[in-house]
Amino acid sequence: MNILRIACKELLQDLRDRWTLIFMLAFPIVLMMILGFALGNAFESTQTIDKIHVLMKDTGENKALSEGFSVFSAEVSKSGILFEELKPGVDGKEEVRKGKYADYVELTGNGILLYSSNFIKLEHQILQGTLTAFAEKFKVGSTIAMLQPDQMEVLTSGSTDHNYIQETSLIPNRKPGAIDYYALAMTAVVALWGAMSAGQLITTEIRQGTAYRLVSAPINKGEIFAGKVLGNLVVNMLCVVIIIFFSKYAFGAYWGDHLSVVILLLLSQVIMAVSLGLAVSYIFQEAASRAILLIITQLGAVFGGAYFPFEEAGIEMTRLLKFIVGLSPVHWTNSALTGIVYRNEIWEAWPVFTVNIGLAAVMLTIAALIMRRKEGL
Amino acid sequence: MNVLEIRELTKKFGEFIAVDNMSLTVREGEIFGFLGANGAGKSTTINLIASLLRPSSGDIRILDRDIAKHSRFTKMNLGIVPQDLAIYKDMTAYENVSFFTGLYGLRGAELRERTEEALKFVGLEDKMKGYPKNFSGGMKRRLNIACAIAHRPKLIIMDEPTVGIDPHSRNYILNSVRKLNEMGCTIIYTSHYMEEVEEICSRLAIIDHGKIIAEGTKEQLVATITDVKEIRIELKKGSDNLLGILRGIPGVRNVDMKEQTIRIFCDLEVDNLGLILKALIDQDADIRSVEEQEPNLETVFLTLTGRTLRD
Ligand SMILES: Nc1ncnc2c1ncn2[C@@H]1O[C@H](COP(=O)(O)OP(=O)(O)OP(=O)(O)O)[C@@H](O)[C@H]1O
Ligand SMILES: [Mg+2]
Repeated sequence: MNILRIACKELLQDLRDRWTLIFMLAFPIVLMMILGFALGNAFESTQTIDKIHVLMKDTGENKALSEGFSVFSAEVSKSGILFEELKPGVDGKEEVRKGKYADYVELTGNGILLYSSNFIKLEHQILQGTLTAFAEKFKVGSTIAMLQPDQMEVLTSGSTDHNYIQETSLIPNRKPGAIDYYALAMTAVVALWGAMSAGQLITTEIRQGTAYRLVSAPINKGEIFAGKVLGNLVVNMLCVVIIIFFSKYAFGAYWGDHLSVVILLLLSQVIMAVSLGLAVSYIFQEAASRAILLIITQLGAVFGGAYFPFEEAGIEMTRLLKFIVGLSPVHWTNSALTGIVYRNEIWEAWPVFTVNIGLAAVMLTIAALIMRRKEGL
Repeated sequence: MNVLEIRELTKKFGEFIAVDNMSLTVREGEIFGFLGANGAGKSTTINLIASLLRPSSGDIRILDRDIAKHSRFTKMNLGIVPQDLAIYKDMTAYENVSFFTGLYGLRGAELRERTEEALKFVGLEDKMKGYPKNFSGGMKRRLNIACAIAHRPKLIIMDEPTVGIDPHSRNYILNSVRKLNEMGCTIIYTSHYMEEVEEICSRLAIIDHGKIIAEGTKEQLVATITDVKEIRIELKKGSDNLLGILRGIPGVRNVDMKEQTIRIFCDLEVDNLGLILKALIDQDADIRSVEEQEPNLETVFLTLTGRTLRD
């Protein structure tokens, strides 16, 4: 009962602390927006693009389109986009799936279909832009509807009776687009931020002198500890859930079909982060613990790929880098989330879940032991 | 009945002994004063009573029960007003009192009544929905008290509850202390202000370097201990170089000055008023009044410690 009382007080204070709350929510959302939409490909722009090889098949259903396209393809070949006719008996989608080509175009009676294995790559973006321009020019007066990889959201739509360019992700296990990628990664970062607020849990009571009243009240320290941790967990989890739903509904980020598993996995990371923050705040002095937690969360975010995905960015994954990346809780959660969301590999949640809860148990034990020996809170 | 009993209590911080083998008894119905200079060990003693610190040795009993063995019972009967404010700035006055009082097992209508009662008691009934960040220093101090009394403890310990506040709030607090006492609470009161302690305490202890060096009623202490008299001289204009000159006069133990008033503490037997006045006149000091004080707690304190409380 006292635990709940303290947890509710904690919740009340955190929800009243508007600026911190706004920061906790706005920062990841804005970053998601900038990285996912505006800068989605900027980190690839330093790549020099040689030639873009595109596999192509004309079904011959639309004569005018075929003629237009041959002029177009001759034109763009000068600038390095090379369309290569699909050999008879070969399945274009299969070629993309196997990774022989990144993109495959089909000219059909319904318009131009574009299949791609990677929607973040710059090559793909260039091709898509060029094709869109062609389709616009070719069918003057008609509008072009372009489908997102998940074929759910129409980006530029007018009369939607014909889709001239369709994008369909071929990989049966889906691959994320930029915004989808950042939605997962940023949410994992927010879950790790729990460490920072938890690092302040006890010190704020001490700083305000209220630790005095809590300790002199007829409750035991375990109750104070549990109540504060519980309240903090709820607030952090609330932020995580808000970010999930905001990215899902406002940005159309894809979260897959197993939202409850996703939330459970993130909960385990929040629990781990909060325990980490608490343990660090008990082991180190106030200023040191704040610095340590800031470093852990920031590095965790960077190496967890929250600001840019290492592989997509073309950064060579050396042994060392792989090792460092492997230490980031954001990375564990992020890769498990990717598995669950895009490949329906629910089992990927459990190892990460277990590690998170295990680490949390160790760190809570450390914190509790130090607390019991300490005078006051 | 003894509300508080401290036996051979010692608290060390490393090598430093903050409370040194202290023994003390406070009886039911008393307003007991703790008097001591900065760093004497008053707050440390109170923190030990509040279980915020663990004693290095010795024990503490509240209402005849050991606080380590019967922590729930003894804590239920104890209310502490800490020296530093202990309130949440982002919670209203009402929420503060209600939250802390709820930790004592009160619920529902009873909790509401006690919360309102305590806020009314300290004169904050109009500010229940106000946030302490918008309160004056005196109002925060009063809220600090309300948080400690709403659960109706038998023993209330106030650690300098009047530090740095306006006279109005101060009088309010002193009256509240008296009223709480009339309602049956035993009170331990610490202060730097000698006048406050003289005014409200029925008994007091003087603490120095973690030890109790005198204990009794004000009258007992004054009658048995002091061998110092205090001479107060009011000048038109104070000047610091006078102090050094006055200190050199035979029989003068200590001198301090606040605004235009010089307080000179002298040996009771030495008759040096003439020398003092001559020294002042030699310095062209413009004397407005001269007054010899009755022996009081200040002189007791000086006799015992060689210092004034303001030192
Ligand atoms: N946690 C601590 N660690 C080390 N020394 C401490 C600690 N707390 C108090 N002290 C020391 O113990 C001595 C007594 O301090 P205490 O706060 O009890 O004095 P006080 O009588 O309340 O003084 P004041 O009138 O200034 O409030 C001081 O010298 C102080 O520096
Ligand atoms: Mg003190």
